[in-house]
Amino acid sequence: MQLNRLSLITILALSTHASLHAENYVTVDFLQYNENDNRVAVSAPSVSAAYDIGTDFSVRADFVNDAITGATPVWQSDALTDGGSGASGRVVNNTGDYVYKNQSFNDVRNAWSIGATRRFENRDELNVGINYSRESDYDSKSISLDYMHYTDASHNRSINFGISGAFDEILVKSIANGGKYRDDDDDKSYYKDDDYDSESGASQKETSNTINLQLGVNQILNETSSLKVDAFAVLSAGYLTNPHQRVVRNYNSAFQSLGDESRPDKRTAYGVALKHIVLLGDSVSLNSNYRYYTDDWQINSHTLEENAYYEASKNLTLGAGVRYYTQTAASFYNASKEHFTDEIYASSDQRLSQFNALTYKGSVDYKISDNLSYNLGAEFYEQSTGLKATMITTGAKYHF
Amino acid sequence: MKTLICLSLCCSLFSGCSFKNVKPWEKESLAKPIMQFGGIHAAVSKYESHVYFSKEAARGGAGVGGGGCGCN
Repeated sequence: MQLNRLSLITILALSTHASLHAENYVTVDFLQYNENDNRVAVSAPSVSAAYDIGTDFSVRADFVNDAITGATPVWQSDALTDGGSGASGRVVNNTGDYVYKNQSFNDVRNAWSIGATRRFENRDELNVGINYSRESDYDSKSISLDYMHYTDASHNRSINFGISGAFDEILVKSIANGGKYRDDDDDKSYYKDDDYDSESGASQKETSNTINLQLGVNQILNETSSLKVDAFAVLSAGYLTNPHQRVVRNYNSAFQSLGDESRPDKRTAYGVALKHIVLLGDSVSLNSNYRYYTDDWQINSHTLEENAYYEASKNLTLGAGVRYYTQTAASFYNASKEHFTDEIYASSDQRLSQFNALTYKGSVDYKISDNLSYNLGAEFYEQSTGLKATMITTGAKYHF
Repeated sequence: MKTLICLSLCCSLFSGCSFKNVKPWEKESLAKPIMQFGGIHAAVSKYESHVYFSKEAARGGAGVGGGGCGCN
């Protein structure tokens, strides 16, 4: 018993409050996400593993597969076809008007990430990570690096600096090209060859780059509470337009048309995130989060989140939480088909609108044995735009 | 200006307060799984982040790891 106590103290002395749970594990999880109104449905199994190599190194790997089906709302011609599938069907009714309605799609996304941590003699940590994500029309590669440094001998305060770079390729399905892709690189066989149009040139492969910077302080306040404060910046450049969204221009004029939306090719965002966690009694923790975000598209946002966990017994942990989110609209956003004429930047994407959102969630974590635990969670998400979604998660974790 | 105000607020949080010097053997409570900032399930946190990334315009503040996606 005394040995166990000493071991615990030794581990605590060597560890950081931010990484006390370095361990060897394999987790298998599954997400089922469904939106109302027959919009997006996502089934996403994932696998994660981490392994400590001695006390100074650890490695980890993750894989997730998203199978996405459903529809997303965009401006479309109100033309009805007997085939029901756009250009291939015979037009049976077309008033020349436009409607904002769901457009069907399906996609599969596979994402891999690997990472490694190096711990130094004073227990400072260097983390590096590589991520790769592929969809039929979107490729993303990113690399991240962050360093955590203890500023005191008791390891009660640490500062951390992180930087990541993401390099994305987007296949644009322009409405001006009859909805066909153009793939500039024939070698990339994963692009949809059937949609490839080598002659028109109206559609294109675009790129965008994003740099993410974060600087933070993690402070233990006392034996039962900690505070974390981070300042962050997200700098994006390149093709930042949503290639699936449309806008109506010059409505009710001789020049009215349905065209691709257009966003600025730069976006600079800053923000601050505060996190506080406190233990109440022996078995209840309260985790409070706040984030402020602002960018040069004139989107300002506040996020407030409160999560509570209750250790009901040695084997059972219950969780509950609520999250409130609010954002202002982008300067170039408008939902109306009567608004846009010849503006350079124009979007009717609801995600750039002014809205509020609420999330309610609950979870159960049951430890089947010392090595194996099982979890089940449910979340309900609701936006003031009318979007509602449910998220069911389940998973198992095996320690070794 | 708002960013500067927020940053100043954060700096003052740390400079104006005194914190208890917690010894390693006093950190047992802080070591509990329920006392982790990211919650007790990393995979669930990743799923949540992905959903919010695809449905909301704000991003950042949750670390620098993770990849991008089309998410349309």
